[in-house]
Amino acid sequence: MKILVADDSRVMRQIVIRTLRQAGYAGHDIVEAENGKDALDKVRSESPDLVLSDWNMPEMNGIDLLAALRQSGSTVAFGFVTSEGSPDMRARAEAGGALFLIAKPFTPEAFDEALAPVLKG
Amino acid sequence: MTVLAEPTLSDVQMVVEEVWSSFLGAEEPLLPGMPGELATGWSAAVTVSGAWDGMISVEVPTEMAEEVTRRMLAVDEAADEDVADAVGELVNMIGGNVKSLMPGPSALSLPVVAAGRVARSSDAVEVCRLDASWAGSPLLVSVHVHRPTQS
Repeated sequence: MKILVADDSRVMRQIVIRTLRQAGYAGHDIVEAENGKDALDKVRSESPDLVLSDWNMPEMNGIDLLAALRQSGSTVAFGFVTSEGSPDMRARAEAGGALFLIAKPFTPEAFDEALAPVLKG
Repeated sequence: MTVLAEPTLSDVQMVVEEVWSSFLGAEEPLLPGMPGELATGWSAAVTVSGAWDGMISVEVPTEMAEEVTRRMLAVDEAADEDVADAVGELVNMIGGNVKSLMPGPSALSLPVVAAGRVARSSDAVEVCRLDASWAGSPLLVSVHVHRPTQS
């Protein structure tokens, strides 16, 4: 499977990719995007199976990315990895069509719990 | 209406400890109190705007910022660009979690990172201050709010 990791922080993208490995998802192809707009382009060009996206990014934020994807007809599996895990943000994520929201800081166990139904189901 | 609420020191300490233990390894714990004077090498801040308004900032010495970056990236050498990125991500995580503890809805800004100290407006009042040390170096996490002008 192919996973698109969207975050404006290169450091955080590396941590997300490392955590994917630690959570037991080492064999997947990884594509990186620097912001929501870049991610939108790469969903079209790379056809990932899952998008893991930060919320707060320049150019286009994560919730606008999700809205743009759904508006364009994309049904790609989508989850947030964000520092904002309040009930309000979780409700907005779910209403937008996200499957899960992993709050930063996170653990490999949190990744596995969120990703298992998507990647192993 | 803006709510004049403040995060408690224990809230901020819990958030910072969680960030540190998750991404920097639990074997080197964050300890309360500063081991010496803080010579700020890098700092970063995020603002929260909405039902609660505040600014969360982190200040660390250069050596700590570089060590944090090396650990976060799992590399031996850290370029300045990566240090700015790592310090910004630290304050983004701390600020995002503080935001979640405060009344909402509100919006979190992108982090502003500076070599040296980030500037604050003159009417910003410090309402929470966490002096801590990690690996023998001091660090400071603080929360500022704008007090309404008395008329």
